[in-house]
Amino acid sequence: MVEKVTGSKGDFTVIVRKKARYVNEDLCTGCGACAEKCPTTVPDDYEMGLGNRKAIYRHYAQGIPSVFCIDPDYCRTFQGKKCGVCQKICQAKAIDYKQEDKVLELKVGAIILATGYDLFDATRISEYGYGRLANVVNSMEFERLSSASGPTEGHVKRPSDLRDHNLIKTKEKSLKKSTRTLAKYEKKHKMSTADFYKQFTAGNISDGDEFEKWVKQYENVREATRKLEELKARAEKFDIATRLAFIQCVGSRDFRFNKYCSSYCCMHSIKEAMMAKDHDARTEAYIFNMDLRTVGKGFEEYKVRGAEKLGLHYVRGRVAEITQDENENPIIWYEETTSQEVKSLTVDLAVLAVACEAPRGIEKVAELVGVALDHNRFFKTAPLNPLDTTVPGIFVCGCAQGPVDIPESVAQASSAASRAAEVIWQSTIEYGESHWKKKNPE
Amino acid sequence: MNKDILIIGGGIAGMQASLDLGDMGLQVHLVEKLTCIGGKMAQLDKTFPTNDCAI
Amino acid sequence: MEKEEPRIGVFVCKCGNNIAGLLDVEALEEYSRTLPDVVFTQWNLYICSDAGLEEIKKGIKEQNLNRVVVASCTPRTHEPLFRSVCAEAGLNGYLFEMVNIRDQCSWVHAGYKEDAMVKARDLIRMGVAKAALLEPQEIITSNVAVRALVVGGGIAGLTAAISLADRGFPVILLEKEKELGGMLRSLYRLAPMDMDASEVIDKKIKEVQDNPNIDIYTGATIDKVKGFIGKFDVTFSANGTSKDVRLGVVIIATGAGNLVPEGMYQYDGHKVITQWELEEKLKAGKIDGNNVVMIQCVGARSAERKYCSRICCAIAIKNAILIKELNSEAKVCILYRDIMAYGVQNEDQLRKAKELGIRFVKYDPERPPVVNEDKVTVFHHLMGKEIDLPQDMVVLSTPLVASEEAEKVASLFRVSLDENKFFLEAHVKLRPIDCATDGIFICGSAHYPKDVRESILQALGAASRASIPLSQGEVKIEPIVTSLVNKDACRGCGLCVALCPYNALEIRDTDEGRKVNVITVACKGCGVCAATCYRHALSINSFTDDQMEAQIHSFLAA
Repeated sequence: MVEKVTGSKGDFTVIVRKKARYVNEDLCTGCGACAEKCPTTVPDDYEMGLGNRKAIYRHYAQGIPSVFCIDPDYCRTFQGKKCGVCQKICQAKAIDYKQEDKVLELKVGAIILATGYDLFDATRISEYGYGRLANVVNSMEFERLSSASGPTEGHVKRPSDLRDHNLIKTKEKSLKKSTRTLAKYEKKHKMSTADFYKQFTAGNISDGDEFEKWVKQYENVREATRKLEELKARAEKFDIATRLAFIQCVGSRDFRFNKYCSSYCCMHSIKEAMMAKDHDARTEAYIFNMDLRTVGKGFEEYKVRGAEKLGLHYVRGRVAEITQDENENPIIWYEETTSQEVKSLTVDLAVLAVACEAPRGIEKVAELVGVALDHNRFFKTAPLNPLDTTVPGIFVCGCAQGPVDIPESVAQASSAASRAAEVIWQSTIEYGESHWKKKNPE
Repeated sequence: MNKDILIIGGGIAGMQASLDLGDMGLQVHLVEKLTCIGGKMAQLDKTFPTNDCAI
Repeated sequence: MEKEEPRIGVFVCKCGNNIAGLLDVEALEEYSRTLPDVVFTQWNLYICSDAGLEEIKKGIKEQNLNRVVVASCTPRTHEPLFRSVCAEAGLNGYLFEMVNIRDQCSWVHAGYKEDAMVKARDLIRMGVAKAALLEPQEIITSNVAVRALVVGGGIAGLTAAISLADRGFPVILLEKEKELGGMLRSLYRLAPMDMDASEVIDKKIKEVQDNPNIDIYTGATIDKVKGFIGKFDVTFSANGTSKDVRLGVVIIATGAGNLVPEGMYQYDGHKVITQWELEEKLKAGKIDGNNVVMIQCVGARSAERKYCSRICCAIAIKNAILIKELNSEAKVCILYRDIMAYGVQNEDQLRKAKELGIRFVKYDPERPPVVNEDKVTVFHHLMGKEIDLPQDMVVLSTPLVASEEAEKVASLFRVSLDENKFFLEAHVKLRPIDCATDGIFICGSAHYPKDVRESILQALGAASRASIPLSQGEVKIEPIVTSLVNKDACRGCGLCVALCPYNALEIRDTDEGRKVNVITVACKGCGVCAATCYRHALSINSFTDDQMEAQIHSFLAA
């Protein structure tokens, strides 16, 4: 975390707080034994909350550095409870609950802001039901649902089914516990519960406190079993979500939120639809759009291939509302502009192509380094010096300056590197020249 | 005159800028708020228009 | 290194579910244990994770492995990583062999588990057989001449040249026309930032002319290119004289051309014109008549030219606004398929155009508009019927097409073009500015249609990429190259020289007669020469005949 920036081009002093991981980076081998045994389960941000991680965790499996870290907001030890499991299990002795933040002072000549973007919060468009309807997700959540290393191992499942599946698991667990209690009574009284209940209801067994409890327990178990069977029967009806609706311009090209176009979402949705079709050939995908902006190299060809080879449906029209049916399947209400009709389409899953927004907290970064933001809250740049911020020696690249796709981000990163290197080299030109000559005698 | 460079953000843009500058022989400090670098691209499954793996 | 008994370790990766979803990875690991020379095996969820890599190192150190085989994903992305891990553990990185059981097995044989298992076992067995014969290799280094060549004096080339020159690198700038400036010279105002094109380009030209590190040659043609990264020897002529120069890196910024829509929509260059011709009229400040109809995607996104040219919608919107500003009575209508007003500024401009009353009508490519003497007839998508739009002028938005020079430049530098004859990047996502040939970079519309801002951005990026070898002063090259393993066998016939796509071979007269000489730095290890040489004099390191034969025998031995 950058805490303070002073100085100017060629001579900045930056104070950076390196947050404590509570795991010694030099000792941790990244084996993951700690996370396996950690008793505290936390919704996983990397999986967009669709999966869980532990209180000691790594952001993702291939993450660099591959050192684990403790989330003090959830860790039992930090919450004043008894635990210490990770410390006990760690053979490398890397767990260090007493580790403290480190404050570093850096002297730099140039700064590059590559602070990226946030996803538009789709709950702000209440008519789309995001957060209210279980089977309306955003584009990044869908990304995790279709990823082989994601929470569903790449099978596109409806979140409502994931929820039911979890519910079944918890219910089965508690049912097992109740059944064990019944078994205790049976053993004590040498009688099967069914026999007991028959005799009890027939009035053959006189009442007593314990018999009352037995009856109650039995009735509870019977009811819970019935409910569980119901839930299972319902869950059985659903497997892979194969009818998909992709809703474009959610929070983009919308006067209420962001007027701009987020550039990459059209292609992103086409890609997601293609991957879903690739995973399951039964997939029918509908992409609701105003324009399909296929402006990059190979993009238009990709879009055409999606329609011709994979049968993706591109529907021109802005979606008005999303409701759901009794199976929690989203119903998409829209006007098909080609036929001028209001129509509805029931799907298994609706995916909102949410806007690329300046990240929350960008104002703080801007204030820290002293640069201006534009009216969309991205870092302000000039058209002919597209990566120069309002402060000399500070540059920006990627989505921090406005929405761009990956190759443009990469190209911009190289460009920002060029600008930053110019600062360093311009002021040390003799270093530059002698450096070249020394290395290149010819 | 300082010859080092600070990069704030360890997503694809921050990483590429760091790589270029590092390859030029400059010392780069890369600051990331999360516990790993990689950013949003690391959350993506595949990428358009080649359907290459994002990781 | 003395020949020692191979001690092979095999590491099989689950790649999450990418491999383990189809293949029984644990069974493959067990199978590997039965193969000759294999002394250690292991499976892992992700070998590429730090924990997985640590296991390889541990294996090398604790099991004294002298060969490592990883069965996982593709060497394209992960071989360098595994090689460096071997090296970190003290094992020469070229004693490593990668087996692709993901892209070439689990991904492509979904649904055929049993057959895929057979194939995976075959692949691993072949990898092990080859690994046993691997030999250590050393990275090759070569000096870099500190001077850059920029081909093309448009906005992209000029920007790249300035960025390099400002850091002290000498630059040679070649432009085929008599004047610098490129396409911007014929434009009026620029979209979407609304600036005067000539002002922008004149300023850049002056900057280049004033920069002592830039040598400018206009009216230039490149005659010959030899060499490779660090040592490109280029012969070019300008103003009647020929020059030879040695350069470390090359930036290609040759721009693009305009499509002339002959035979389309009654194009005549007078009443039916292109956006580029409209720029001239706008520059002169004279637009005839009140009714202007613009048609988008003329000759683009069609059967013969499939791509979207990216910038034409923004140009049409900008010019429509300019017409309205010149004559508020004007009625401008843009007939489009999708309005490609991507990003922040373009969408702003689209909104401004709508506020000014410019009409946008979506047309169906199946029912394209028809241009008549004084009207344009189009099927209105929203109204569901044909409408007539009166016209005094029709403006056709045509795509940028690859420059006429592209093929010549590409063949001189031996780099590839894509199917639309734009320059092909090394990797569409991660190396958008590099050519596949080392030391050559692309920027501007030579790569794909771009607006000015994007051209500037990419040019700075190209300068950054180009400055890496220049600042290091040397390049490191993978030793997977061809080598003359049997000098006696070579008769200097030159067949390999003729076929080498990278100019990496030459014939030299030696004491032992005519022999082929390998320019190692230029070699990409493609293997054409080794496959061609009927005397078996040439061989590719790490792909020797012995190793290939061992693989084939091992496959057949199943």
